[in-house]
Amino acid sequence: MNTWASFAPFFQDAAQGAATTAVASVVAFVLGVALGCVLLLVRVHGGRTLAAFVVIYVSFIRGTPALIQMLVAYYVLPSVLHLPLSPLAAGILALALNTGAYVSEILRGANNSLGHGQLPAAQALGLTSVQAWRYIIFPQLFYRTIPPLTNEFTMLLKASSLMSLIAVHELATVARDASLQTNLPLQVFSAVAAVYFVILFAASSASRRLERRVAKVLPHGH
Amino acid sequence: MAIDFSIVQSSVLPLLQGLKVTVQVCVLGIPLGILTGAVAAYLTRGPWRALRALVFAYVEIVRNVPFLILVYLSFFGLPKLGISMPAFAIGVAATAFYTGGYFCEIMRGAFNSLARGQVQAASSLGLTNLQVQRYIVLPQIFGYLAPATTSLTIMMFKDSSIFSVMSLTELTYQSNLLTADTFAYVEVLGTTALIYWACSVLLDIAGQWSERYATRYRRA
Repeated sequence: MNTWASFAPFFQDAAQGAATTAVASVVAFVLGVALGCVLLLVRVHGGRTLAAFVVIYVSFIRGTPALIQMLVAYYVLPSVLHLPLSPLAAGILALALNTGAYVSEILRGANNSLGHGQLPAAQALGLTSVQAWRYIIFPQLFYRTIPPLTNEFTMLLKASSLMSLIAVHELATVARDASLQTNLPLQVFSAVAAVYFVILFAASSASRRLERRVAKVLPHGH
Repeated sequence: MAIDFSIVQSSVLPLLQGLKVTVQVCVLGIPLGILTGAVAAYLTRGPWRALRALVFAYVEIVRNVPFLILVYLSFFGLPKLGISMPAFAIGVAATAFYTGGYFCEIMRGAFNSLARGQVQAASSLGLTNLQVQRYIVLPQIFGYLAPATTSLTIMMFKDSSIFSVMSLTELTYQSNLLTADTFAYVEVLGTTALIYWACSVLLDIAGQWSERYATRYRRA
């Protein structure tokens, strides 16, 4: 049997795995960005104690491997929260909790560079603080952080391969199974590496286009 | 949920033995990667177009392929090429390969952060290329390199947990053995996480110290 024929049974599997990888990563990213925004708001408005909790949370997430976080989400969280989690749900949760910490740091850096006069200024003009964040601060933060947020998405999608270690059927899982069954690890893992490469390269190209468009719309100095 | 501290206590020793292997892989792999990345970064400034293209391909592969896939490819693929290496050596090589790609990008960013005129001015004053690097370029880019290298080091330290898939007896692998043995996920994973966290915090503190040292001339 030639090489291509021995791969054939895995094509559909690989397509499904790639879809799971992509969808899980996008969902986890959206949740992670939302969490990052909440963490930033808590740090700014939440008072000392809550802010300290956020600092500890961010330090813990940044100081422990994503793999360990994933194992915790899969083996520990369901029994602590009394909430049964499917492997996929646990994986997405772990990725979102991880990304949230990094995103909050990215947004905090941008917020510091923005200066702290905008919130009082917006409130002086009669906006509520919700309106000020919604219409004044967050838009500026996101315009400024397109490159680091894209980088964060890249890191997230790469880390999503770790879901294969908690029994989620995604791209890396398919790769491992196909490699074992065909005994052609070089070909299988190179092909799967190429699939990851294409997805991530497409994502970062799209982000660069977005960045250029935003740069055109915004006035100079942003 | 009650935490069984006797399990925590009995897990600490095997976990610290795992940490030893983790540290060994990192201590060998990360500096090797920094060296690789620095050489790659200098190659992109050289006159050879083919080498430049090769370095760009290398960097893009590292940035766009998960570490796990790279580890699988090396661990299962290398023997097919007739190269048999122990898991430890693969771990060191994979760490170096991955660190190198990221460090190359950091180094290129550092070069760009330096005003172009400085190198030209220095060589027009009669400094050799080596002297320009030694006395003009490197002292100035260390301040830029220090924080980025710290985060890269912490990232690779954490990514070394992935070597558990090739049965390298590092920290995460030891943790997996203990959980398979005791089913005490909270105690064992909690202790493991605390060990990783403590090391990352220490690395971060060391990084801040080195950054202060590297930028000392800015305050003079």
